[in-house]
Amino acid sequence: MRYKDIFSSLFWMVIGAGLCYGGYELELGTLHDPGSGFIFFWVGLIMVGLSLSIFIRALKEKGKAGEMRLIWSEVQWKKIVSVLVALFLYGYFFQTLGFILSAALLLVFLFKAVEPQRWSVAILGAVVSSLVAYVVFQVWLGSQLPKGLLDIG
Amino acid sequence: MDLLNYLNIGFGVALQPINLFYCFAGVLIGTLIGVLPGIGPVGAMSLLLPTTFKTTPEAAIIMLAGIYYGAMYGGSTTSILVNIPGEAASVVTCLDGYQMARQGRAGPALGIAAFGSFIAGTLSILGLMLVAPPLSRFALKFGPPEYFTLMVLGLTVLIYLAHGSMPKALIMATFGIVLGLIGMDSINARPRLTFDRMELMDGVGLVPIVMGLFGISEVLLNIEQKIRRDIFQTKIKGLLPTAKDWRDSAGPIARGSVLGFFLGILPGGGAVISSFISYAVEKRVSKHPERFGKGAIEGVAAPEAANNAATGGAFIPLMTMGIPPNVIMAMLLGAFMIHGVQPGPLMMKQNPGLFWGVIASMYIGNGMLLVLNLPLIGMWVKVLKVPYRILFPLILLFCLIGVYSVSNAVFDIYIMVVFGIVGYLMKKFEYEGAPLVLAFVLGPLLENNLRKSLIMSQGDFSIFFLRPLSAASLIIAIFLLISPLIPWMGKKRHEIPKEGLS
Repeated sequence: MRYKDIFSSLFWMVIGAGLCYGGYELELGTLHDPGSGFIFFWVGLIMVGLSLSIFIRALKEKGKAGEMRLIWSEVQWKKIVSVLVALFLYGYFFQTLGFILSAALLLVFLFKAVEPQRWSVAILGAVVSSLVAYVVFQVWLGSQLPKGLLDIG
Repeated sequence: MDLLNYLNIGFGVALQPINLFYCFAGVLIGTLIGVLPGIGPVGAMSLLLPTTFKTTPEAAIIMLAGIYYGAMYGGSTTSILVNIPGEAASVVTCLDGYQMARQGRAGPALGIAAFGSFIAGTLSILGLMLVAPPLSRFALKFGPPEYFTLMVLGLTVLIYLAHGSMPKALIMATFGIVLGLIGMDSINARPRLTFDRMELMDGVGLVPIVMGLFGISEVLLNIEQKIRRDIFQTKIKGLLPTAKDWRDSAGPIARGSVLGFFLGILPGGGAVISSFISYAVEKRVSKHPERFGKGAIEGVAAPEAANNAATGGAFIPLMTMGIPPNVIMAMLLGAFMIHGVQPGPLMMKQNPGLFWGVIASMYIGNGMLLVLNLPLIGMWVKVLKVPYRILFPLILLFCLIGVYSVSNAVFDIYIMVVFGIVGYLMKKFEYEGAPLVLAFVLGPLLENNLRKSLIMSQGDFSIFFLRPLSAASLIIAIFLLISPLIPWMGKKRHEIPKEGLS
């Protein structure tokens, strides 16, 4: 059994079934006059069929022993989760703090959290990079980055 | 005579100082992206798309195209010096390029890669110039059924050539179509899969999806494994290949150019496949195939020529029919749309300055790349030495700025991060991103042309089989889809990419 494919095919089966339901709710219409949900329903059905074929093949095939464990054992949870949380927090506080402050904070965190640098490198790197990015994107290229607390922008 | 006239118009546009600047910026960034592992041309193009909003469409497309073919040039440098391909299209170059570097011949390897790319790039632009106008005229006769079936064929070829399992690639394509249809129904304005979020009424943007799948997910994958980059510590000297090198490489460059150009036109083909196939071809026609993998210059010249020629070829379906053959061209289609230009058979007539300007800029860009890649090779080697722990926070920051600048919406940042996670999981579970993105772009066009076709035929599906071109496209697509069930065809599908490496 290829556990990888079993899990992923089950996931897509659920998504496909959800699409079928969503499509049905949106109205299918007829072949001559397709409704809003027509394409979702059929695409969902195709998805279910495809995932079923992956599922059946995965059951028959010989997988590696401890395959699932192997995928997750190499994941460095701390690094991945901390980067993702930092990105979501950046999004959450972006408007309030403004671009320069939120970018500098994010960079300091990334420089320190994943493969720790010296504080001086992290802070200097973060401040210089966010200021350069600000000049390039806001001043030269005219992006409209939020001003936030510092009221610069 | 007409052609010369058009070229005149093209160079008139491309040689304007502002367009020259954007061309230079494009090829420079492209080379940089090609050199740096961890961010590819698709990510870079989506990143820089917002910076083109205030420019003319000509400048925007000239720069984005420059990133594309510049990345193909730059990718070879890391393959040869570090044995890490900067781009997927340079994977094969590692085989003989790195061996040449180990034997003290890094200079000629880099040289032939740059010259081969230049020659092939120029030849493919010539091809583009000759093939595009008649094809555009021909495409004017296409109706919705032809467009619908050609897009189906394009997607099918992409799925057929996907590296992994075909059902997985098909699932990705169906998922892409669904994502592309989120938002208001164009016929009755009914919200579809918007989950009552106002932000989703206009649909999901291409940029957040692409940046998530190709930018954020790459970073996530890279930070959990230490990238070891042992740069070859020899002095790079004698970049000019010797007369013997030239004799050995002339044939491979010529064959690589032709092969790359035609495979570039095919949907789903593009630079990656053409580099693999051209390597396999050279190995087969060579009198000494045993030299391949041990530092044969042909093994560098052919794939590098092919991947550059493919970039020129890939413009043909986009510029003449408005159908992007690969993910990068899908990004360019997005850029055209943002600037209010509809690529297709009418573009050459309605926007000759843009069409020929982009082509002329590619000539100029190829020349710039030769200058950037040969004398400045030392600088690129230095760039290679920037550690990833410094690089990845900056890549993430650029992604965040890029995605926000497109729509000024924080919601898009969340979408990008979510698709970063999706892309990360897809790699873990062996699903490919390319069919998803192409289907996402083609989804609404597919639905639109399907509905139009059915209105034309009053709901009769036989319209797709009664018109010769659409019938042929559909038959080929169906054949490709059922081919894994035919034993010898299924085997052949997996042999294509593998053969180059065996």
